[in-house]
Amino acid sequence: MLETKRILKTFNAGTPNEVRSLQGVDLTIADGSFVIVIGTNGSGKSTLLNAIAGTFLVDSGSIHIEGQDVTRWPEHRRARFIGRVFQNPFSGTAPSLSIAENLALSARRGRPRGFGWALESNLMAKMRDTVRTLKMGLEARLDNAIGSLSGGQRQALTLLMATWLKPKLLLLDEHTAALDPKSADQVIKLSDDIISREKLTTLMVTHSMQQAANLGDRLIMMHRGSIVHDLRGAEKRRLPAEDLLARFEDLRRADQLDETASELLQRAYV
Amino acid sequence: MSLLIGSMTIGFILSLLALGVFLSFRVFAFPDITAEGSITLGASVAATLLVVGFSPLTATMAGFVSGMVAGATTGILHTRFNINGLLAGILVMTSLYSINLHIMGKSNIPLLTQTTFANTAEKAGALVLGERDSLNVGGWEVSARDASIFFFVILVITMVSILLYLFFGTDIGTAMRATGDNSQMIRALGVSDGNMITFGLAISNGLIALAGALLAQYQGFADVQMGIGMVVWGLASVIIGEALVGTRQLGFAIIGAIMGSVLFRLLVAIALRWGLNPNDLKLITAAFVFLALILPNLLAKFRVTRVRSPARA
Repeated sequence: MLETKRILKTFNAGTPNEVRSLQGVDLTIADGSFVIVIGTNGSGKSTLLNAIAGTFLVDSGSIHIEGQDVTRWPEHRRARFIGRVFQNPFSGTAPSLSIAENLALSARRGRPRGFGWALESNLMAKMRDTVRTLKMGLEARLDNAIGSLSGGQRQALTLLMATWLKPKLLLLDEHTAALDPKSADQVIKLSDDIISREKLTTLMVTHSMQQAANLGDRLIMMHRGSIVHDLRGAEKRRLPAEDLLARFEDLRRADQLDETASELLQRAYV
Repeated sequence: MSLLIGSMTIGFILSLLALGVFLSFRVFAFPDITAEGSITLGASVAATLLVVGFSPLTATMAGFVSGMVAGATTGILHTRFNINGLLAGILVMTSLYSINLHIMGKSNIPLLTQTTFANTAEKAGALVLGERDSLNVGGWEVSARDASIFFFVILVITMVSILLYLFFGTDIGTAMRATGDNSQMIRALGVSDGNMITFGLAISNGLIALAGALLAQYQGFADVQMGIGMVVWGLASVIIGEALVGTRQLGFAIIGAIMGSVLFRLLVAIALRWGLNPNDLKLITAAFVFLALILPNLLAKFRVTRVRSPARA
């Protein structure tokens, strides 16, 4: 399904600010697999997702999706395979467009767009039914500008948009990190529901050990631009949150984990 | 009365300019200066074709298409070659000055003997009104020629703005509006934001060149200098329109730009009538846009200090 081979990415190469974000990441994800990505700050988790989505081109290595070599494809062309939800709830929607218009845009993700009416009635009916399943009362407000909604509502809608046409690969980049705890729980539950119902191949970055322990069927831990742990199936299921924390501690001892990350861990567990 | 209806006719013609400026400045937040060159381009292409003997319709449509090419050029310079948007517009505008001189062969083409859309409108008016020289509108004598041209122009503007409104409701038009709103999101949904900006600037400058083509035919000449200050003029119209009808809905924004253009032209006509030196016109227009841009912030500050000061006392 997804296969990255030895991908390398260095930002600001040759300057004092040089950052080696990805140092030869090899990752193969099977169809229908739900992979959790954790790691310290600056470990390259988000960079990995952005490299796969095509936000930038990698310096070397290759990326294949569905057997197609997409390494040199621009971001908008890869969108036919990929649905995305960003960390910032404002990134995934166009604020001055209505809820309905935003959803209509996602209903043609990766498909040619012509002079057909965007809000045609069949689609509108489907929108009302689908938005009703969010139980947020938004089905009556489809004509409202999406910018008037809360971060949690916008993130839930972004998730609907990313999966409106079944994506070959769903990329979730800390998509609950900027939400209040209640909205975060709602969005996580919604994500899990959609992913298991549609059997979506998913790559989800998270800072929450709770989410990392409870969700997914495979877990990879990144550090300094490489994958340092890769746990699957039974091993992943047996893994309690404490073990996860212990592995983080190992990393920290091995090389002075930066303070923000250890703070995050403290907040999650102490 | 003739002055009034003449000003309103020009105001409606220039509302196409306002719509073009609305598209680039407001929908894309792209400060597109190409407009100053493309309005003249539309005028010079239309005038030259009329002199050669083409029909007003062909000449006007050719003006529209030439503007689209100019806008697409700016878009390509910006999106494919990563040139700053403002600079891309300046480059195209500057080169258009030479191109316009080449098209016309001289700096000014008079259209006194050619058949223009104004003559066509006059003939159509004669069919409706009969052989009368003037008609009575609410107690005012209006010449049949002025009235026919006025209604013809309104008809054209209505059609264009309805088409524009419908376009914004299509799949591609919605994607275009989203591009200006959030380019990261629209790329993630499989749309090339560069192509959208290029296409949008083509439409914007097409409309502006259409304004130039109609204006040249209405006033009876095309001049290589006629584009100077037109971006600020269009911006002033858009700002007045937003103050009049608000920005919440797209349809209102389009109607607002048209109303703003007509009202602004009327204000200018009245000011000139009262003895405003025409040389000061562009300075005053620029000062007006400056005020309109800083006023919201000033008002907000003023309100904050007014709320605070009683608490301090």
